[in-house]
Amino acid sequence: MAASLTGLLKPWTPRVLLVRWSRYNPYYLEPEPRKEVYHIPETELTPEQKEERELKSVRPIKAATNSVTSSVFNDPVLSKFVNMMMKDGDKIIAKGIITQTLENMKRKQVEKYHKAPEGKKAEIECNPYAIFHQALENCKPVIGLASIQKGGKFYQVPIPLTDNRRRFLAMKWMITECRDNKHRRTLMYEKLSQELLAAFSKEGNVVKRKHELHKMAESNRAYAHYRWW
Amino acid sequence: AVLRRTSQVRPLHGSGCGQQQEAIGMETRPETFSIFRTQENDPACQSEQHLGQYYTVPPSHFHTVFPHGLPPRYQQQVKTFNEGCVMVRQPALELISHLKRADYSKPTLRYLLYGVKGSGKTMSLCHTVHYCSTQGWLVLHIPDAHLWVKNCKELLPSSYHASRFDQPIQASNWLRNFRTTNEHFLSKIKLRQRYVWTKRESTEEGRPLGELVDMGVSRVKSSSDVVGAVLKELRLQAGGTEGGFRLAVAVDGVNGLWGRTTLKKEDKSPVAPEELTLVHNLRKMINNDWCGGAVIATLSQTGSLYAPSSAYLPQELLGEEGFDSMDPFVPVPVSLYSEKEFESCYLYYLDHIHFHHWLQHPHSQTEEGKKELIFLSNRNPSVLERLCAFL
Repeated sequence: MAASLTGLLKPWTPRVLLVRWSRYNPYYLEPEPRKEVYHIPETELTPEQKEERELKSVRPIKAATNSVTSSVFNDPVLSKFVNMMMKDGDKIIAKGIITQTLENMKRKQVEKYHKAPEGKKAEIECNPYAIFHQALENCKPVIGLASIQKGGKFYQVPIPLTDNRRRFLAMKWMITECRDNKHRRTLMYEKLSQELLAAFSKEGNVVKRKHELHKMAESNRAYAHYRWW
Repeated sequence: AVLRRTSQVRPLHGSGCGQQQEAIGMETRPETFSIFRTQENDPACQSEQHLGQYYTVPPSHFHTVFPHGLPPRYQQQVKTFNEGCVMVRQPALELISHLKRADYSKPTLRYLLYGVKGSGKTMSLCHTVHYCSTQGWLVLHIPDAHLWVKNCKELLPSSYHASRFDQPIQASNWLRNFRTTNEHFLSKIKLRQRYVWTKRESTEEGRPLGELVDMGVSRVKSSSDVVGAVLKELRLQAGGTEGGFRLAVAVDGVNGLWGRTTLKKEDKSPVAPEELTLVHNLRKMINNDWCGGAVIATLSQTGSLYAPSSAYLPQELLGEEGFDSMDPFVPVPVSLYSEKEFESCYLYYLDHIHFHHWLQHPHSQTEEGKKELIFLSNRNPSVLERLCAFL
């Protein structure tokens, strides 16, 4: 105990202490950023919600991160994508690229809508958020491979993936594809919008990579019993 | 889901998207099919009752009146929506009413549009330019004076005046656009003086202006001098009684003409704006020693050099020299959107008849989303446009 206390007595403490990434005591509760929860009048609360409110009035609450907003336009999947695209902590540039991408996708789709004949107009999706989510869904692999050691050799064994892992893989493939396989002069948002629109219609390199992973898993079916969990 | 919404809202259009009270008061215009649009596409006939409404620039006029001069994001918007809609706002209407009532036998009046960044100065200028061209004036539209004092790849020493510098690329570009805007005037105006370009080339007196402009576009080396000659001729002939036309000089970013440039001579010393032929001639145009037209100018901090980003007042941006040359002028302040204008803009972006919901995000179409847009943009037109672009 004496050792940890002397560690805290530093000649200089920073003005802003990073609170959110420190390990909170499990006693602390998560913050609630959504506005609608607070607008429910007293009478319409269910007994669980009443209990929760009373609990929140006595327990301490963790600090909310900077990326969480009560805005109606807050999208957790999009925030995750922005964080993954961020380099050196420069979220302004990453967020800028994503907004330019969304705008670019919307413009392309709206122009396509205007040129399309009457019958086809209803099928064209102009909402960039819907396109983004659908494209990401189309890129998510269903099954993954893990390297398992058995008898001195490593085998690629097909394993089920959790939702978080699938979402991470889809985003990772999308970003690496757009960073690596583009012409030197194409800007990131341009390439990203092309890839997302291709993934929306199940074409493009990212869905191809997903299909290749599925084929590898299918070809390694025989080793499936090496998995013990 | 989108198709169902269009068929639901169509019968409501006679009453203007559900805003019944205002529609009843507008029975005099039976063909208005939305609260934020007006059928009055002629700027001369627009009045206070059209404030806050969008009018469409007829597509046939679009490329002749605005080959240059529109803000780049607006040009993108026109390309996406396949139509150019401009909002009728107070500063533009005020300018147009001044232009209607001014006395053109007196020396020219100078109007200066000023306001914070993104408040709509360039768009008001373009609205006025559209009015001038529908009234048959000759329009001299300089899209951005800052383009002439920075980023110039070729600076040739002028043949006409030893200490001045020419900018062939900018001058020839401008002449090309000038030719597109004012086709019908080029054959009517005759030169009153003989211009000698080189030992073998000269333009005689009495030749049409079109020939001079064509020569400037093809012979890039002397294009800056051609610009000077064109400006001089127009200045002399603008107020004339026989075959007289009215001249509108519309300059965007006029604060670039006074101040500093980023151009350097070969010995790395900075070039002052007076030493550029184009700037020198343009300054002579802006002086009010000619009659028969008007000078409409806009201040701009966006392209300006060595000016702080919070500066927007004429005194700060023009500097002492510029203010003294522009003085006296009629200042026209351009403010951010009022509540009515914001409503109109929001409904325009929400319009689903013409371009399938520019505001696509489901939450942006609710009251909550609208309040959030007001908060995020502070009713600034350009910020709102950028927000709605990705929402």
